[in-house]
Amino acid sequence: MEKIKEFFKTFLLFELLKGMALTGRYMFARKITVQFPEERTPQGFRFRGLHAQRRYANGEERCIACKLCEAVCPALAIKIAVAEREDGTRRTTQYDIDLTKCIFCGFCEESCPVDAIVETRIFEYHGEKRGDLYYTKPMLLAIGDKHETQIAKDRAADSKYR
Amino acid sequence: MINIEIDGKLVETERGSTVMDAAHKAGVYIPHFCYHKKLSISANCRMCLVEVEKAPKPLPACATPAADGMKVHTHSELAVKAQKGVMEFLLINHPLDCPICDQGGECELQDIAMGYGGGESRYTEEKRVVTPKEIGELISTREMSRCIQCTRCVRFGQEIAGVMELGMANRTEHAQIMSFVNSSVDSELSGNMIDLCPVGALTSKPFRYTARSWELSRRKSVSPHDGLGSNLALHVKDYKVARVVPVENEAINECWISDKDRFSYEGLNSPERLTRPMIKQDGLWIEVDWAPALEYVANGLRQIASNAGAEHIAALATPHSTFEELFLLQKLLRGIGSGNVDYRLRQSDFSADGKQAGAPWLGMPIADINAADRFLIVGSFLRKDHPLLAQRIRQAVKHGAQANIVHASDDDLLMPVANKAIIAPNELLNTLAQVLKALAAEKQAELPAAVQQAVAAVTVTAAASAIAQSLSGGQQVAVLLGNFAQQHPQAVQIALLAEQISALCAGKFGYLGEAANSVGAYLAGAVPFAGNVQGMNAAQMLAEPRKAYLLLNVEPELDMHNPQQAMSAMRAADMVVAMSAYKHHAMDYADVLLPVVPFSETSGTFVNTEGRAQSFKGAVKPLAEARPAWKVLRVLGNLLDVSGFDYDTSEAVRAEGLHTLGLDDKLGNHIAGVAISIMANGNDAGLQRVSDVPIYSADALVRRAASLQKTHDAAVPCVMLHGSEMQKLGVQSGDTVKVSQGDASVQLTVQKNDSLPHGAVRVAAGHPATAALGAMFGTIEITTGHSTKQPENACQVAGQSVERA
Repeated sequence: MEKIKEFFKTFLLFELLKGMALTGRYMFARKITVQFPEERTPQGFRFRGLHAQRRYANGEERCIACKLCEAVCPALAIKIAVAEREDGTRRTTQYDIDLTKCIFCGFCEESCPVDAIVETRIFEYHGEKRGDLYYTKPMLLAIGDKHETQIAKDRAADSKYR
Repeated sequence: MINIEIDGKLVETERGSTVMDAAHKAGVYIPHFCYHKKLSISANCRMCLVEVEKAPKPLPACATPAADGMKVHTHSELAVKAQKGVMEFLLINHPLDCPICDQGGECELQDIAMGYGGGESRYTEEKRVVTPKEIGELISTREMSRCIQCTRCVRFGQEIAGVMELGMANRTEHAQIMSFVNSSVDSELSGNMIDLCPVGALTSKPFRYTARSWELSRRKSVSPHDGLGSNLALHVKDYKVARVVPVENEAINECWISDKDRFSYEGLNSPERLTRPMIKQDGLWIEVDWAPALEYVANGLRQIASNAGAEHIAALATPHSTFEELFLLQKLLRGIGSGNVDYRLRQSDFSADGKQAGAPWLGMPIADINAADRFLIVGSFLRKDHPLLAQRIRQAVKHGAQANIVHASDDDLLMPVANKAIIAPNELLNTLAQVLKALAAEKQAELPAAVQQAVAAVTVTAAASAIAQSLSGGQQVAVLLGNFAQQHPQAVQIALLAEQISALCAGKFGYLGEAANSVGAYLAGAVPFAGNVQGMNAAQMLAEPRKAYLLLNVEPELDMHNPQQAMSAMRAADMVVAMSAYKHHAMDYADVLLPVVPFSETSGTFVNTEGRAQSFKGAVKPLAEARPAWKVLRVLGNLLDVSGFDYDTSEAVRAEGLHTLGLDDKLGNHIAGVAISIMANGNDAGLQRVSDVPIYSADALVRRAASLQKTHDAAVPCVMLHGSEMQKLGVQSGDTVKVSQGDASVQLTVQKNDSLPHGAVRVAAGHPATAALGAMFGTIEITTGHSTKQPENACQVAGQSVERA
């Protein structure tokens, strides 16, 4: 009996019809393609995009150069140099993230004791040369300054789960 | 021996030892902060509380004597509860600023809080704040709020460094570690407090905020400074030495290192480092590649050898150079037919050359110092020249030994000194003869006829007979000659008498080695009387100027016995090749500067003062174009067609020059064939120069260590006089006077120092301020009143450590 079934399948193109049926079903189904950039997918508050350095409300940069993010970074993308500032506080003189190395794991944000380095919702950034994706401290601070409202809102939303 | 049970493990321990000792033996770890094996027990941190069966309360393991049959539990419910409670109390006032703390990552409090503390804090009230104190250039106390009052630093000062420079003031929550009002911590061992501090309250000032502990890779090395050969760990970050900490070696440095060993690393990264070979052409220095530079040197040497003769080529090397460098230097010189090679730059008496049984050494293992019960220390600025050997002698004295001093300056050794004879430098030999004579009388021993005859004429003073009395009562006597005695113009006679003295008490006689490789340099043959070609010693080379000088790490104006003579010889020479890690004064008189590397960038061997050969590897790669000196000498050997210069590694050089087995046979302090004669030393009239080499001026590396150069010990030297001599001269402390020696003179500030004998004047050597003067010994003339100009950076008269003496 099985053998007879197999025999008919070999020339009746049964599989082809089955495949066409699936395609045909999607022809009439509701479309899920998002028309980026006119349309956007929803993002969670834990979205891990471009990095930013944050400041306190009084304008003081948060980062204290503890180097935990540098130590935890699995891609070795972070480079920090530290020195004592004139007022005696511990500050970075260099804070670079090489985004060509970064794997966006979020460990840096996780390890930061002062919530200085964060990953924002920004994902549509680009560089035209390789060096363009080497982000330095002023660049990271500028991103933080620009998006602080959104960053703060996301941290607040996440705080109850931490 | 008694048996005690810890966590179910039976362990045998000595009667009188503590539960903590027994736990160490059993391999059980008990958390602790204030306990340290080298310090006394204070039991004030309470972290080591353990449960002892039949005891009503938990007991501190560090202060509880072990008793036979005792049963101890370190992890029982009661013990854990006690540990958790103590930890919570300790953390009440401890700031939670680990991310910015230099101790973070290597902090005992952090580790033990992780292992034995609770997860979170119940404390919500305000924390205590302690204001930072300024205690000097080496230790930072910016974060004194982190202190947990373990008092290790205080006990270290009292017990190891010999001076209590930090203390705990006030009680309970107000207790603070502080120095005496407005005074800094000036001990030459102070850096060890940084290691001892279990938290980040005392941290290294030069290292502050430069690196986190996990970024550093640790490489073992050996100290290139004093003769002890302390074991070091160089912590490296980004191809630079970021800090230095001790490696424990009970036989050498125990767990300490001196500040010189610890902070001299700043000199390794000094901007004065020489990075490319340089040649002087028409009075201008030009940077060149290695090939032309070495070719230039080889041609120059070849020319001088063929025109004037090879004996017109001379080589001077510091005993801070490695064995391999010194071995190749002498091999190169002898290969081209000259025996003029010497490392004894500050020595002035060479009459025992070739008559000594072997390399002058300590005469005993370093660890035996602790066991000696009588010391005779002759001519040594002990604390400054040998900080850790002084510490060992201090421990011995604490355990009942008697220290006797014969010296030209009564410096505070921070230990009880039984007897001392403080005499002008030209009376040093006579005083030793007195001690010998008195000792022979005391022991009713027969001296050899020649010795008897020599000492017959001396009159024994009370001080000398007191010293003799002390020595005669000893079972294990150590007679030690310091740097000052070795540099003395009658050094050999002093050594002969010292040997006689030690022989009378069946003791040990030895030299406190001046530099890291003083013994190694002798073994390498970097002396004019070793090997097949003999030559001139360091003094002769300068007295009869040579045409060419090869300088290995030497700065002639600072490293030589007679800098004035050295400089005129250098200026008159046709060719001076300076192999140096630094651009220094050689720019004035040298023709070629070859950049060689300091100890951290080369592999090598130092043989310390007890004759222990310690090899080390390079910790970082050579800076820019600088190269290890042994490689430079190897290539020079090839260019000059000297045979046997085909080494691939420094180990091969070492294997040829140093046979570590049987090294003991090559050490020997006995001098044969020199007759004892107690002659007066030259001109007795006038003030006699007493010259020390200040602790932070002793070698090229430490001279460039920025933080050490800011300490009190590195202040510009003053001319020091006894109060009565000052009266005679009509000068006051703080006056600027003209100090003349021969036809040279310098301007220095006067400082009163009653620890000097009459007829002596202390003018430091090895410092740019006094480099224009002549020999380290001799007559000094002081003229007053003409100059009102203060010398630059005049020393501060107050605050000098001698004032406290």
